[in-house]
Amino acid sequence: MRIERKSWNDPVLVATVAPLALVMVAFFVVPLLMTVVLTFQTTQFYRLVWTWDLKVWTEVFSKPHYWTIMIRTVTMALICVVLTVLIAFPAAYALATRLKTFKTQIQILIIFAFLTDAVLKTFGWILILDKNGVANWLLMHAGFPPEMLNLLFTPAGTMIGMVYNLVAYPMFTIYLSLVRIDRDLVLAAYDAGASRIRTFFEVTLPLSRPGLYSGAVLVFVLSLGAFLEPKVLGGGTSPLASELIRQSFETRVNWPLGAALTVVLIAIGALMLAACAAFALRRTSTTERPA
Amino acid sequence: MASPIIDASGIVKDYGAVRALHGVSLQIGTGEFVALVGPSGCGKTTLLKILAGFEEPTGGRLEIQGRDMRGVPAASRPTRMVFQKLALFPHKTVAENIGFSLKLQKVGKAEAGGRIRAMLDLMHLKPEYLERYPAQLSGGEQQRVALARALVSQPGVLLLDEPMSALDAKLKKSLQAELKKLHREIGTSFVLVTHDLEEAMMLADRICVMRGGHVVQVGTPADIYYRPANMFVAGFIGETNFLPVTATAAGGGMEVASPLVAAGQTIIAPEHVSPSLSAKGTALLVRPETIRFLKGDAAPGEWLLDGQVEEYFIKGASTQYRIRVRGLDAAVIMDLPGSIVLPAVVGEAVRIGFDPVQAFLLSE
Repeated sequence: MRIERKSWNDPVLVATVAPLALVMVAFFVVPLLMTVVLTFQTTQFYRLVWTWDLKVWTEVFSKPHYWTIMIRTVTMALICVVLTVLIAFPAAYALATRLKTFKTQIQILIIFAFLTDAVLKTFGWILILDKNGVANWLLMHAGFPPEMLNLLFTPAGTMIGMVYNLVAYPMFTIYLSLVRIDRDLVLAAYDAGASRIRTFFEVTLPLSRPGLYSGAVLVFVLSLGAFLEPKVLGGGTSPLASELIRQSFETRVNWPLGAALTVVLIAIGALMLAACAAFALRRTSTTERPA
Repeated sequence: MASPIIDASGIVKDYGAVRALHGVSLQIGTGEFVALVGPSGCGKTTLLKILAGFEEPTGGRLEIQGRDMRGVPAASRPTRMVFQKLALFPHKTVAENIGFSLKLQKVGKAEAGGRIRAMLDLMHLKPEYLERYPAQLSGGEQQRVALARALVSQPGVLLLDEPMSALDAKLKKSLQAELKKLHREIGTSFVLVTHDLEEAMMLADRICVMRGGHVVQVGTPADIYYRPANMFVAGFIGETNFLPVTATAAGGGMEVASPLVAAGQTIIAPEHVSPSLSAKGTALLVRPETIRFLKGDAAPGEWLLDGQVEEYFIKGASTQYRIRVRGLDAAVIMDLPGSIVLPAVVGEAVRIGFDPVQAFLLSE
């Protein structure tokens, strides 16, 4: 993609972009700046005191508890990325190459599941994961010892919910990448003497990278802010960053602290995405170069 | 044919209820350049895919280099394909594209490098292209990389699936000439699929004309042009004339008469005319270049037609006239050598003639 240097001098372009730019500034940039400003304030008797103080930041950097939760959040997000991609890739591959006859029906089912309210679906998992739930009942009847699984109100329960709620994103991005791959490229690899497995690793996988990366980024960003799953399925035993931020704002009524933790979470996410983007661009930029 | 490299007999291919190939048999000699020609849907591409191993035939037997190809995957066949849209790997450099099959065969780095460079020389590609990506090359250069990629593994047969259909006319001509030269140089068998009979005539040693899943005629370009099996083959190359005639067995050959010419002006069909003609649906093929304007008297035996000039086209080396003849639906097309003086103008009443010995009697 080429960006014209003179675009600022083009009145039509500026006029068409202006409304969107204004909305973005008003509802994204300004609130973000307000959040940053808020971190330099203090609270007294549950009231905001307007000052310029580093008190909150000293607290954030002196309490390892916050950082434990941040690291746990990032770890959970990364695990969630790996699991969703591992589940989504084969599903998308099957949808793009094998199940062409029922493709539309399967896609509609996935979209329905995807559009169903996340709260509803997450509470639904309680019925399955509970000690007396469907999962244990099925396992018991399959000959396993009773109450074998104990997943509800554990980090594993949280993870199941997160993976379930987010897996559709990479499934669609990877699917879109896979269907764009010319079938002749696969045949050309066979023709050159490549086995099916070799063809997958030499042709299909590298060419599905755009979908793989964009799906992974979506899942990572969304799971950094996961709120519902740790609360409903994790039971609050091992809270994630969003729960910590909620507590700071609502329970402790310490807005500056909540704002500071928000800034920390955004910064971690942005840094990790920048690192991934640099890595991904280094590997793909050469193939996208125009002729 | 001494040693056919490809021996296909009775190849049948069904796609569900649709039969794409109805028992096609074809032998291709070692080092031969064969073109499969026909309109779209004639089964030529299906046949090529069966040769490559991308499709398994429903019936029949295919041998390549004396080996039965049943169940042999594309990866293990001595064939390499140049795809219609080239199918160069967009994420691999030119060197990686060309060297892919060598990497799979675990050819040593030094040897592979040498062979890739040799291919580059053969295809007149610059060495600095090795590190470029396909998207950074022009259409003609990509074409050569695709050829290099296919030839680097020294295949017994090179399969070409209309590789020049996407190029502009000028580039196409120069690549056609190069392809013919390349074939002469390396001596590999080439099988070219094309819908362009002119291209096939230029390049191939033998042409296999197909229609509706059947082979209509196999022969040298001269056979196809001068001894077409039927009206379909004759009409497939360029514009031509079919005059209605009646043919009756007489003496040693066929007595041919036409309602268009004066009664009694019959000919005995010459030797080269197919003897197995039925009187039904018979037509006389008259190539446009064999017709001339008659200013004076006709030569003995010549057939005459009276008509009116409908249109003419100056093509440079030749001039094409379309003559409206009474009793004939289509205008008679004639190609004359180009001349600065036009022999006739639009609307002029003219008399044209041709020697029926140069014409061919055909059935539908």
